[in-house]
Amino acid sequence: MLESQIIMIKIVKNCYNYRELIAALVWKNIVIRYKQSYLGILWAVLKPIMLMLIFTLVRSFVGIDTGNIPYPILTFAALLPWVFFQESASEGVTSVTSNASLIKKIYFPREVFPITAMVTKIVELVISFGILGAMMIYYQMMPTVYAIWVPAVIFYTMMVALGISFFGAAINVYYRDMSQALPVVLSLLMYGSPVMYPLSLVHKKLIEEQAAGHWSNDLYTLYTLNPLAGIIDSFQRVMLKGLPPDFEALYPGMVLTLVILPISYLYFKRAENWFADVI
Amino acid sequence: MPIIEVNHVTKEYQLGHITSLKENVVNSFRRLTGKPIYKREDFKALDDVSFSIEQGEVVGIIGHNGAGKSTLLKHLANISKPTKGSVIVRGSVAPLIEVGAGVNPELTGRENIYLNGAILGIPKKIIQQKLDEIIEFSELEQFIDTPVKRYSSGMTVKLGFSIATSLDADILIVDEVLAVGDLAFQRKCFDRMENLIKRQGRTVLIVGHNIRQLEQICMRMIMLDKGKIAIDGKPNEVCTKFIQQSNDKIKSQQATATNIEQSDEFELIKVELLDDIGANIEKIAYHQAFKIRVVFNLLQSIKNLVCFASIHTADFVQITANETYITPKDFAIGCHFFEMVCPSLTVLPGAYSVKLWIGTVDGQVKFVANNLVNFQVFSDDYSIARLQDLGLFQLDASWNSDSLNPEVA
Repeated sequence: MLESQIIMIKIVKNCYNYRELIAALVWKNIVIRYKQSYLGILWAVLKPIMLMLIFTLVRSFVGIDTGNIPYPILTFAALLPWVFFQESASEGVTSVTSNASLIKKIYFPREVFPITAMVTKIVELVISFGILGAMMIYYQMMPTVYAIWVPAVIFYTMMVALGISFFGAAINVYYRDMSQALPVVLSLLMYGSPVMYPLSLVHKKLIEEQAAGHWSNDLYTLYTLNPLAGIIDSFQRVMLKGLPPDFEALYPGMVLTLVILPISYLYFKRAENWFADVI
Repeated sequence: MPIIEVNHVTKEYQLGHITSLKENVVNSFRRLTGKPIYKREDFKALDDVSFSIEQGEVVGIIGHNGAGKSTLLKHLANISKPTKGSVIVRGSVAPLIEVGAGVNPELTGRENIYLNGAILGIPKKIIQQKLDEIIEFSELEQFIDTPVKRYSSGMTVKLGFSIATSLDADILIVDEVLAVGDLAFQRKCFDRMENLIKRQGRTVLIVGHNIRQLEQICMRMIMLDKGKIAIDGKPNEVCTKFIQQSNDKIKSQQATATNIEQSDEFELIKVELLDDIGANIEKIAYHQAFKIRVVFNLLQSIKNLVCFASIHTADFVQITANETYITPKDFAIGCHFFEMVCPSLTVLPGAYSVKLWIGTVDGQVKFVANNLVNFQVFSDDYSIARLQDLGLFQLDASWNSDSLNPEVA
């Protein structure tokens, strides 16, 4: 655990040292992506909104119990961290290979690329927050004091995304299969995360009803080993439900992340030495 | 303490494709079970290279293609890591490995200045201070708010160079950037480099093919050959050696005629270089007599045939021009020859080749080709040999000198 703390401090320190470079690259990414489009950055939020509408439509057929919270806002609050995670990870994985010309010519710590990909997504995340805010006003929901947990939840999401990005980006330099495989894996993972349905439903089935017999408790732990389960649930709790995060659901995923992130980062730093030769 | 230390650096690249996933898995399995693994052939781009550079030195790195120059610079700029050995750099490095590496076509010139500044690690404040200077140097005032994708390639390079040289780094690493833009801009770049070097006392490493330019600005030169340091010393010594080697290489290459154009009735049999007694030669002493003899076969008779011969350098600068224009001759079917006799060769030592043009007076081309015979001019007289590469030939002139006395004048 100490190891992973040191590494997290190192990442944050590098972010600080290279803040101008990261800021410039983020600004470049955003400017270039939307330079010749009329709607500009609004395209970025189209994805969560479309998914929300589709899920709301699907839900009207299958019926998912969401308690006293309207389904559209609940699923949007799930999509917000999910889309941020998914886009950060998939952009992060291709970030090194898509900057091949820079890698071959100029040196700076290569982790700047996955970090930049993630920070770029923060800009889009902020816009999504605006939409969530508007929906909360529409449904007349007030954020509670527990909303102060939001930055921590987002920071945790960033660490999870980086854990995948570092490892994936390094592999992708050698085998481009990575950038092909990741979207498939991530879209499968979405169904394994409480995006379409709330975590409380899984909790109810496995813990309260013991639906899988004596495997139920282990299955629930396995489910929450997915860090996104805890992240999405916590986000919904602190933003919409006015409850503190459910640490029982967060804990398994956090342990996994604390193990994976340092390994992933060290692997990236080791592979970095040969990026310019192989890319 | 030297600002750059390179200790026994070896860099190996594996030839061929990246190993497939399957091969990797098979290899790991073999490694575990202690069996020999499949290995691809290695190529040593750098082979046990060691040197050190002091603060303020200006070092040129020369060598033939594939000698390892750019690989070496990549190691100094920390882009590649050596397979063996170590590189220690004490100071900030401005890598001008290829100017305009970070120039993005979608952004405007001004936006690119900020972006590239950040990529090169220049703080935003300094960029803002230097913005006008950068724009002015790049000569792009009018286009600075236009996306770079609408720039000409020359404009892009100008922009890249202007940004890169505004960086205040201890060590400047330059890879053939002096060959950018038009002649006027090249001159400007060269002046700027000289200014950086001479006035600001920067440590500079330059790689290039333009030996004359390098010789002018460098204090020291390192010549690489097949990944090893061939010579490390004073610019003039290294340059002389390099040029000599290039000449030997050119001479040893079978003369392969280029740009041949030939009509159907004309067959070139041979082009020979002969000394005054008619023996074949490939080396001519300065001021020695020689002949160029062209033997050809005609399948049809041709009237008013003339021959033109020129001696040119390896980079096709034609130095001499002799022809038979005023004495055209008619030739019947069969074998014939033209012979140019020169009593004294006056081009300075170096490697040269011969160009021929054969055709009729009214301009019908029968035969043209460059690089027909390679030969070397040499001189045992050091006062002549040392002029090699300073000029192409010597004027027939004498020198006077005296002091000017103002009272008499």
